[in-house]
Amino acid sequence: MPSSGSVAGPVAALINEFSKLPTVGPKTAARLVFYLLNRPRHEAQALAEAILAVKDRVRFCSICFSLTENDPCPICDDDRRDARIVCVVAEAKDVYAVERSGAFKGRYHVLGGLISPMDGIGPAQLRVKELVERIGREDPHEVILATNPNAEGEATALYLSRLIGPLGVVVSRLAYGLPIGGDLDYADEITLAKALEGRTTL
Amino acid sequence: MQLTRLALSGFRNYAELEIEPEPGLNVFVGANAQGKSNLLEAIAMLGTGKSFRTSKDVDTIRYGADAAVIGGEARVRAGSVNLACTVAKSHAGTRKTYTLNGSGVRYSNFLGKLRVVTFVPADLHLAGGPPSLRRAFLNVALSQEEPRYYRELVRYRKALQQKNALLRTATTIDPELLAIYDRELVDAGTQIMLARHRFVEAIAEAGRAAHARFSHGAERLDAGYESNIVFERPDPHAIAAAFEARLQHVAESERARKAAVAGPHRDDLSLALDGHSLAAYGSQGQQRTAVLALKVAEYVVLRERSLEAPLLLLDDVLSELDEERAGAFLAGVGDYEQAFVTATQMPGTLPQRARTYVVRNAHVDTGVAAC
Ligand SMILES: [Zn+2]
Repeated sequence: MPSSGSVAGPVAALINEFSKLPTVGPKTAARLVFYLLNRPRHEAQALAEAILAVKDRVRFCSICFSLTENDPCPICDDDRRDARIVCVVAEAKDVYAVERSGAFKGRYHVLGGLISPMDGIGPAQLRVKELVERIGREDPHEVILATNPNAEGEATALYLSRLIGPLGVVVSRLAYGLPIGGDLDYADEITLAKALEGRTTL
Repeated sequence: MQLTRLALSGFRNYAELEIEPEPGLNVFVGANAQGKSNLLEAIAMLGTGKSFRTSKDVDTIRYGADAAVIGGEARVRAGSVNLACTVAKSHAGTRKTYTLNGSGVRYSNFLGKLRVVTFVPADLHLAGGPPSLRRAFLNVALSQEEPRYYRELVRYRKALQQKNALLRTATTIDPELLAIYDRELVDAGTQIMLARHRFVEAIAEAGRAAHARFSHGAERLDAGYESNIVFERPDPHAIAAAFEARLQHVAESERARKAAVAGPHRDDLSLALDGHSLAAYGSQGQQRTAVLALKVAEYVVLRERSLEAPLLLLDDVLSELDEERAGAFLAGVGDYEQAFVTATQMPGTLPQRARTYVVRNAHVDTGVAAC
């Protein structure tokens, strides 16, 4: 807890809320609060409303489990997108990374993390069962495993390929121009587009 | 190789320091707790990125400072390198970053640019202590020598952690997932075992020769790679096959014990004197002599393999040894390009030409070459 004894109640409360956020320590939290105190009211109101809108209006897409305001999400709902290719990613933010590359015109499936027993995450904690059901239901031609090229990403891709390979679908993996141990998130658009283009069948 | 400049900022008891070491022998002389060992620790961190004294990086940051910065310049066979290792306080504890010739690099690209062989009093337990000490001895030497070894070691440790977590926590273990971690262990473990096998072969020979000189030929030192996985031939296929077979064999007991029981994480380096285990039967004196021989062997083998002499760092260790052993050690090492030694007083066993530095309360005075 930050040293809140000397400042007024609402200030201390907001510092406390900010410091719960990832990468924000008590010092940064205090700086944010005092910054906001010096800004006009409408700016603070816009921030508060944006935060609430995220909570109230954004939910998981019931098909791909990406984040969306409408269910199904605009990508799942877009008939021009190729439903025969499904790109499997770990997090919703990876959808945005692949979309930025502009090189992919299929659909997505968001796992909600990567397999890592030491972090208490096994296949049951992820949307793996939903992926298998979806393949049975939609019968896609190809599934691209686009998890990060780090240890957890590789293990997850390997696990999924063993699981869905027997379902009669082509399973492919991103080709690596991506830095080993890197993050889809940080890969530039061209690298990511090349990795998608040069994907290899597992 | 040769360190030509060492610059510290906020490291241990040093606010700021810059010295330009000489080729040959550099001796830091001073009373205890003045900062002698800190200098060797800093030099070692330029080589391995890690402290040989603490696993808590925060300990290396000077009281009141936000970061410890160790910088150095070295002459190596390929030219010269500029290295820096920074330990900075962060909200998650500390963050360590590395630079090579001015650009930020990953640890694996920093490691081994400056090779060091360190010898500290704790190493004297190498022969009589637990197997983990001897595995660490192999890992530190091999990681500096082969960047690939370090990568495989990290891969192996990660897969081992995941496998242990899976065995420990899962109520029903997914055999497909277990197989994935076993596959990783076999892939990475095979490379680790192969490298250890070759390295131990080399240090066994160099160690035997050094030991024969120390003991005037009276006793014979045998070092052997005691691999947890027994393989017939030191080739990747034979090792991988043996590891796979062993994993199948222990699969049930691993589930029962909820832990990975087979693999190079349970390796050892066996040391025997005239056929008798040093750990079990060796006297303290015999164990120490064997460690000296091993350290000489580490130095000689690293020098041979890289065609370049590593830096030799002797922290307070010569004073732990009697004069004869200390002299024999330096003679055994032979042609070192550059060595750093700490001592509370100028040791009489050192060669004539040495650059001495007097270390007092985090200040280093360049003395005159002792003649
Ligand atoms: Zn969707």
